[in-house]
Amino acid sequence: MTDDARRRLRPGVNMAAGDGESPALDQVFDGDSLYALRAAVAAHGSQAGLSEGRTRDLVLAVHELAANAVRHGAGQGRLRLWAAHDAVRCEVSDEGAPGEADGADAARWRAEPGHGLWLVRRIADSASVESGASGTVAAVTFRRVRS
Amino acid sequence: MAVGADVQITDLTADDHACLTFGEPEELFDLTAAFVRDGLASGMKVVWVSDSPQRATAELARRGIAVESALAAGQLTAAECEGRLLVGQEFDAGRAMDWLTSQMAACRPEGFPGLRLAVDMSWALRPVTGVEQLPDFEEGVAAALSGSTVSVLCQYDREGFDPVTLATVSAFHTDSVAAATYYADAMLRICRQYAPPGIRLAGEIDYQHAEQLALALTEAIRFEGDITVNMTALTFIDGSCARMIVDATRGVAASRTVALHCHPAIAATFELLGADDLAGVSLVSMHDR
Repeated sequence: MTDDARRRLRPGVNMAAGDGESPALDQVFDGDSLYALRAAVAAHGSQAGLSEGRTRDLVLAVHELAANAVRHGAGQGRLRLWAAHDAVRCEVSDEGAPGEADGADAARWRAEPGHGLWLVRRIADSASVESGASGTVAAVTFRRVRS
Repeated sequence: MAVGADVQITDLTADDHACLTFGEPEELFDLTAAFVRDGLASGMKVVWVSDSPQRATAELARRGIAVESALAAGQLTAAECEGRLLVGQEFDAGRAMDWLTSQMAACRPEGFPGLRLAVDMSWALRPVTGVEQLPDFEEGVAAALSGSTVSVLCQYDREGFDPVTLATVSAFHTDSVAAATYYADAMLRICRQYAPPGIRLAGEIDYQHAEQLALALTEAIRFEGDITVNMTALTFIDGSCARMIVDATRGVAASRTVALHCHPAIAATFELLGADDLAGVSLVSMHDR
């Protein structure tokens, strides 16, 4: 992904921590490294001060988004995590383009009750998915104290 | 006597001399509980000789076996190796055989048609004098059991014993017993559970092993009775696998119950999917034992 594409793909979630600051975690993944991704997110969530339960939710949400990228998107992707004083924000991006045979298209993700995106929306404080010509970016935010 | 391919613990019958190899305590206790349960149900006397009789009875009770009444009735005995197989941490094959034959002789006068004996072999991993006589003992057991109404389950930790010893002793057994395993690697293990019946998941599971999970669930449902999905050693389950388990419970007849045993972290995912509201499904959230 080019820097230009990345700028275009920046999702419309307003979170101060996401802009400009370098992420606390920046990790690429594919189907064989989801385990390592979960372990890294758990460590960072916990270090950022999320409770045990919210760290677990964060891991599940990131896993579901990453699994979507692997299964329905480009087959691999990138996770970035920012830890701000009040929240943890994660972006999962992949470069699968909509319209391709196995391209990423948020509209095709299973969002009906019980499925990946539905779960993510249930547990994250905010969640967004945007697809463009260069791929898909999904973002979730977990606040430290849930309101 | 040749050692057959793996047989199911629930298929053992009189005069079997079975070799149970286990990879983790859960597997040992689960399979032994099934051996004890089936023995008690068929009116046999059941003796389990191990390093910790207290742990043994606790593990049996945890798996739904009426330990107190069986102990009180003299149908079940949990005993230490010391004083039976060992004397002062010394092993003598002849003396151990004497103890075994006395147990075999005692069960009929006590009113039992036969005996089921489970023997924890982990003592042989310690610096015990006479351990080299272990194959002699196993050979003696094989000869003593032939044509009897007694079955013996020898329990070997397959991580602890070296392959040469395991191969040597297993040759004296009529059957090799292990848990039916659908998937096992360093990260995940999916196997059948025998007492109570169901499946057991350990490690982390996601969509990449959904196929093996589906097979395990299908087989568990094919058997009769209530089903337990033991996830107490599971540390992660993704939405697709949790959904598969929930969907599978919907296909189970209303007369059967499904118990999902797991830690609170896993239970939360099932609660999100509404499993706690399903008729016949109980979500049993358990903390570390």
